[in-house]
Amino acid sequence: MPRAIRGVLIECDPSIKSIIVNIDSVNHDFIIEDLDEERVVVKENMVQLLKQKLEDRLKENLPPVDESGSE
Amino acid sequence: MSINPALSLAEYLERLPGTTFKKLYQQPSTTFAIFRRMLPHLAKTFVMRMLFLPHPMTLADLDAWVKPEAKRKKDQSLSILRSLHIVQISAPSKEKPQEIQLMSNFKKSLRLALTGGGNHNSFGVPSSLMVPPEIDLPFLDRYARKKWEDVLHFVVSSVGYKSSLGEGSGPNKGVKELLIAGQLVDRRPNGSLGITQAGFTFLLQEANAQVWTLLLLWLEVLGNNKSSGLDPVDMLSFLFMLASLELGRAYDTNALTEERRNMLPSLVDFGLIYIPQHKRSMFFPTRLATTLTSGGNSLRTISEGVAAATQSAQTAQQSLGLLGGGGTGEQAGSVVIETNYRLYAYTQSALQIAVLALFAKLNMRFPDMVAGRLSRASIRQAINFGITADQIISYLSAHAHEQMHRTAALTNKPVLPPTVVDQIRLWQLENERMKTTSGFLFRDFTDDKDYLDTARFSEEIGVLVWRNDNTRMFFANKHEQIKDFLKTRKRAE
Repeated sequence: MPRAIRGVLIECDPSIKSIIVNIDSVNHDFIIEDLDEERVVVKENMVQLLKQKLEDRLKENLPPVDESGSE
Repeated sequence: MSINPALSLAEYLERLPGTTFKKLYQQPSTTFAIFRRMLPHLAKTFVMRMLFLPHPMTLADLDAWVKPEAKRKKDQSLSILRSLHIVQISAPSKEKPQEIQLMSNFKKSLRLALTGGGNHNSFGVPSSLMVPPEIDLPFLDRYARKKWEDVLHFVVSSVGYKSSLGEGSGPNKGVKELLIAGQLVDRRPNGSLGITQAGFTFLLQEANAQVWTLLLLWLEVLGNNKSSGLDPVDMLSFLFMLASLELGRAYDTNALTEERRNMLPSLVDFGLIYIPQHKRSMFFPTRLATTLTSGGNSLRTISEGVAAATQSAQTAQQSLGLLGGGGTGEQAGSVVIETNYRLYAYTQSALQIAVLALFAKLNMRFPDMVAGRLSRASIRQAINFGITADQIISYLSAHAHEQMHRTAALTNKPVLPPTVVDQIRLWQLENERMKTTSGFLFRDFTDDKDYLDTARFSEEIGVLVWRNDNTRMFFANKHEQIKDFLKTRKRAE
């Protein structure tokens, strides 16, 4: 019997996806199903937290580009 | 109080149970409004063709009306007609071919609406009293615009730029609470009010869609609150009735039921109707009310990407029509943007300035002009609020200053500098690391055929987002109809 699982489909670059998988690996509380290189299904209530964690991760690794140009 | 933020009308209707539709379709005005606003062209054609048929027709006959290459469109139309409980399709069986017919309530009411007759009064009862001479179309338009701008001001007032309005002004307390309940604005820990992501999306919508968003919030709040004694179904009927009234005409409040009379004060707060101070027994619908069911944007949810993109440009034009054009002195073309990302807007409208402040860093203000700059940070902020690059670009192009158009025409170049347009898109790509779609993952199909049929079905009704035939899984953004499909399949076996 087929099952329907509520969730949020996330489509992104493979690099971003690997970060998501990495974030999930701590507690395994985000990902419902790892679909392929560029897609994962995530629990609906965790998307905001995931976005925030991803943002933090990216900030650690890539310092934001300086604003150039005068005001 | 928590309710679903900012539903569209289509989503709201889809969640209503069948019995509610039966009640709704008792009113010819409601039936007509749903027919006009909610159906794609093909579905309208189906309804019109079936309207005067005495007997159900077979699905095979219906198939013959549609070219084979338009099967997908036909299936989508039928799926909409079914979800709005407009048609009835008999269950498949071996003895009889599947038949389709209009629901009897819908058929009866739509016939009445089109041919007239009956004493249902569902298109309003005109007031027999003398109409005060000062109430004319420009007066009603001014009134509605003022009321609606108050609402929008309230939503934007928390962003970057403080509006010059005092604390006492702005919409009524009830409207404010509604906006908070609908999470268009929320209370920050320090007690002040701040705009939310839903609020931004709301702001950039076309005026008509904004009105609906607010009205649906209202329906939902009152629906949850049983003590109000208002029946959401009746309220929705009433709104559809308002939409069918004639602008500039006075209608009799005494002809309304008591529940509906109780709704009037709130509708006055939204600016949908006007009641003269000294003649409480008549009301005038404003343009906000009479245009409720016009405008084709209701079908956006199913429209293809290309159509949506072209529409978004038109949308900007339309919303401009209502927001601009007098009132607060916002002119149609007021924004100049240069190749060095500097932006100048010749405007005094606090609303427009607040909207610009959503995606540009404004640093100078003069009596009739503001100057600022688009930057990576400002676009990033906008995107965090849920505004897309395309929305910003279409806003800018819809509001481009006359001089921009003139230069563009002379040099034969696009109105907005291509470097700026590209850069806005690039900034978005940089910030938007992932695309999210909520919905349902379907998996664990017993065999290939089961999987393929279900996946094909969901593709045909237009809810399929992703599929992988190797793992027999697919992702759909809605599940109700797929569930029904699986059930009927099971029964057939």
